[in-house]
Amino acid sequence: MNEAGQNAGKATLAFVAILLAWQFGAPWARIPAYVLPVPTAIAQKFWQTRAVQLEHLGQTASTTLLGLAAALLVGVLLALLVVYARSLRAVVLPVLAAFNSIPKIAIAPLIVMWFGLDTEPKIVLAFLLALFPIFVNSVTGLGEIEPDMLDLSRLLGGNARRIFVKVRLWHAAPHIADALKVAFPMSLVGSVVGEFISGNRGAGYLVMSGQMTLDTPLVFAALLSITALAMAGIGAVAFFERTFLSWRPSMRSR
Amino acid sequence: MLQAARPLASLAPVDPPAGVSERAGLAVEVRGVRKDFGATTAVAELSFEVRPHQFVSIVGPSGCGKSTALRIIAGLLRSTAGTVTVWGDRVKGPLADAGMVFQAPVLLPWRNVIDNVLFACEMRGERAERYRLRARELIQLAGLRDFEGHYPHELSGGMQQRVSICRSLLLHPRLLLMDEPFGALDVMTRERMGFELLRLCDLGEYTVLFVTHSISEAVLLSDAIVIMRGRGDAAKPHTLEIDLPRPRTLATLRDSRFVELAAAVREEFELGRGS
Repeated sequence: MNEAGQNAGKATLAFVAILLAWQFGAPWARIPAYVLPVPTAIAQKFWQTRAVQLEHLGQTASTTLLGLAAALLVGVLLALLVVYARSLRAVVLPVLAAFNSIPKIAIAPLIVMWFGLDTEPKIVLAFLLALFPIFVNSVTGLGEIEPDMLDLSRLLGGNARRIFVKVRLWHAAPHIADALKVAFPMSLVGSVVGEFISGNRGAGYLVMSGQMTLDTPLVFAALLSITALAMAGIGAVAFFERTFLSWRPSMRSR
Repeated sequence: MLQAARPLASLAPVDPPAGVSERAGLAVEVRGVRKDFGATTAVAELSFEVRPHQFVSIVGPSGCGKSTALRIIAGLLRSTAGTVTVWGDRVKGPLADAGMVFQAPVLLPWRNVIDNVLFACEMRGERAERYRLRARELIQLAGLRDFEGHYPHELSGGMQQRVSICRSLLLHPRLLLMDEPFGALDVMTRERMGFELLRLCDLGEYTVLFVTHSISEAVLLSDAIVIMRGRGDAAKPHTLEIDLPRPRTLATLRDSRFVELAAAVREEFELGRGS
């Protein structure tokens, strides 16, 4: 067995150990099921509600991905503005920094008041939470190119468009991939918090309805769905990295 | 014209475009160039010239302004005073027909060796396919034939710098500018790279302007050496012709004339320090 396989084996073993401790430890410590249901009860609930889980998770996934896509578009465009229009840098950077220091979760009720009870506020919250990490990494990726590389490109006859397509964009790709790994769970948080506050759809709503009815296994089952979605998103970015960014230092096989 | 179809032996630079006047037949003419950064003077009154097919080195200690001078000649920096003329034209912006090699190889990590070399023609807006054969030729000449498909991180520092030199030669530049290209290499590799560069240049009859802080490297490679002694008006740069026979080989390093010339350059530095 290779090293990666061994590590995966160890991780699985640790995970199983935790589940066993939970399964037998919780009843032994006389923790009531409505406080901490045992893993088998959660799994059972998850299986029973699988169709509902899938439906609500699909809703959450769509608002998350829409918010993330919007954040990617706006974040990269703002970064381009900052990289190319140096005079705008002094305006955009402080405004965005100030904006970032507002806890977005705290303004979620305001967003709901502005955008209604349907899917829009969820998308907006997902967008707001994902925007900053994408913007910051895009500025680094598009802007922080070795000066020698830019001088060389100019001496070879490169115009701004060619330098953008063949140098800046490629240089930015791994930075943006890193940003997406952070931004995806962030925008998921945005969607779920939006669903906590209003509406009757989404994995966040499912968590809330479990709480209302003291159906703790349902809360855990919904959390399981949300975690699976987050892992799938990060996994997709990692797959993209392995496939298209195999040249980047952290991806090089030794 | 189709460069890609050219045979191996004709690596010569292409003829000057019609209508370009070559005043006094000089490749580079630097007249009274001065560069101030705020209150500090980086280059004080630099004057020298490079004739076509000459290999000229600019030598000086760290911080004497030699890299700044090269950047001014390349059109990457504007001088405070004085003029630079390249192939008869006043330099106003980045040169369009020059190859450049920096101390770091500055390769694109996402491109393999041949695609890094072809980056040169892509920046000029030409199709890479037209230059693929020429790129192969250069890579072969540089001894990297088996590494065409390798990525920069899979190569040693010396190999990376050879890729960077191939890239600078791809478009048959009439002028090759090199800013301490072997500065980051170990002594053994450095010597070998010097000879390899001479071999490539002899094949193509390039005109080279080479910046280095190594006296022996400058004497070994050059037809003329511009000695920059440091800051201040008292240390005006001075040119020394190197009349060692070509081709230069390892034997040149033991030639008594080589030793004499290297000593003469060193003496210039000592004089500079005294004044």
